[in-house]
Amino acid sequence: MSEISKPWLQARFPLLDSFRSTMTAPVLPREKPYLACLPILITGALVFQLLSGLVLSLFYDPADGFDSVQFIDRNVNYGWLIHGFHETGTTMIFGAVYLSLFRALWLRSYKAPGEILWFISLAQFILLLVIGYLGYVLADGAVSYWSLANTVSGAFSLAGLPGGLGVWFFGGPDGAGTLPRLEVFHAVLAVAIFGILLLHFAAERGLAPRENRGVGLHPYYTSQIFAAFVVYALIFAVLVFFAPHLGENPLNRGPANPLVLPVGVTPPWYLLSISNVGHAFPGTLGSVFAVVGRLALLFALPWLDRSAPAKPPGFLHKFLVFVLAVDTILLSLAAMHGPSLLGSILTVIFTAYYFFHFVVLLPLTTALEAR
Amino acid sequence: MAEIAGEIVHETEVLVRRDFLKILNVAAGAVAVGAIAWPFIDALNPTKDALAIAQPIIDVSGIAANSAMRFVWMGTPIYIRKLTDGQIAANQFVVPSSLPDPASYTDRVKPGYETFVVVIGLNTGTPCELLGNDPADPRGPFDGWTCPCDGSVYDPLGRVRSGPAMKNLAIPKFTFLNDAQIQFG
Repeated sequence: MSEISKPWLQARFPLLDSFRSTMTAPVLPREKPYLACLPILITGALVFQLLSGLVLSLFYDPADGFDSVQFIDRNVNYGWLIHGFHETGTTMIFGAVYLSLFRALWLRSYKAPGEILWFISLAQFILLLVIGYLGYVLADGAVSYWSLANTVSGAFSLAGLPGGLGVWFFGGPDGAGTLPRLEVFHAVLAVAIFGILLLHFAAERGLAPRENRGVGLHPYYTSQIFAAFVVYALIFAVLVFFAPHLGENPLNRGPANPLVLPVGVTPPWYLLSISNVGHAFPGTLGSVFAVVGRLALLFALPWLDRSAPAKPPGFLHKFLVFVLAVDTILLSLAAMHGPSLLGSILTVIFTAYYFFHFVVLLPLTTALEAR
Repeated sequence: MAEIAGEIVHETEVLVRRDFLKILNVAAGAVAVGAIAWPFIDALNPTKDALAIAQPIIDVSGIAANSAMRFVWMGTPIYIRKLTDGQIAANQFVVPSSLPDPASYTDRVKPGYETFVVVIGLNTGTPCELLGNDPADPRGPFDGWTCPCDGSVYDPLGRVRSGPAMKNLAIPKFTFLNDAQIQFG
């Protein structure tokens, strides 16, 4: 068939043809679980988040952060809704990310040959934590102001490279110049996460087994993704309209005051399990060590897990992963309402269990089950 | 034979039902996309308070005949002048083609409110603010406005009569809400 006998557009713009053949190539397995859609849902949610963030950035003024958020909520047409989309979008994205991390632990998909895909997921998770923290700080409320002030003074108290990095990131003591640069970092990192997602899908595609008599992405998996999306959108809509401030410290709805320390400087729910680990260790260096150690253990997971790569996860492993999830939730809840004696004790216990799980329980049980 | 006919009817029914579901889905999807896109688009429209500043309502009931009030709207001076009967009589029947920039009396005022002239008070030659709002100001031979910079002369309707300027005074966008109020923008 000569080139010119093809339809006019396809002869001149072959991208459409290759797109169609990629979409319908029958190489995918015949059945995948609904939860396998999570990366695609997260990508879609991040695009939506980017759109609402673009609108918010038009009206957000870092020199007057809290008041400009009030302006968005009260004066901008549908500003309350766009702000709600952005806030609830964060909750939904972190919900999906935590669920997919849990799924990876449960199915042990971090084992060979999935290590790189696991590292990419973790990099995405850490980047999202940083973006989420920056967004929380940009709200410039009574709580996030103090969170930022504590973080910056903590970064300044560190010596050597960590301190230098902190000083570079925050650009000097917390002051007039801090929020504008954090707004730029928030936006730049939010765009950068799409690069990581690209790596994620490339790694996932490379790992997926090629089927000889499989099914195509369209219409088999597009309809599955659509069904998953409908459920996701339904939860999203319910949260936007009935619980737009879910998991936030209500004190952060007041303006920042450098002279009044709020009762509890607690971040939104998706940062709680990280920040509480930091509180379980004394001193700034201890907090940094705890947070870095907590995330580093996840990176070491392919080697901490002693079982053979192809072996399906055993009952004991699944039970311990479930307990770990409960531990993480309890750790988040322990100091959710500010400092208390009981909360401090529980935080230390749950943090200790977290490290105990990865350093002792996981290698032991997987070695036991591998025999 | 009857069986085959039944089969065909059944298949047609399935097809019709599927087409209907398809149309229903696409229609609902289009409504949903529109409902989500609209807040994003409308958020980029100016806010109500910005519009209120951009569309001020001016009270003109206090302007005495033969004088003009000045106020600044969006960075330009606006002159609202109340004409006297004599000024109307002197300018009403001037042949437009005899003017540097032809315009009739009715071109320069709003129907129903013919005693008010609303113009941007900047000379159309050298951009200078014009003099002549107060009866004591230098108003030139046509009892209108004069430019202190290049000496252009305007009549009370804001039409240029002589001088380097070649254009009549610009008329801003406005509407009369009633006898006493003008809304700009």
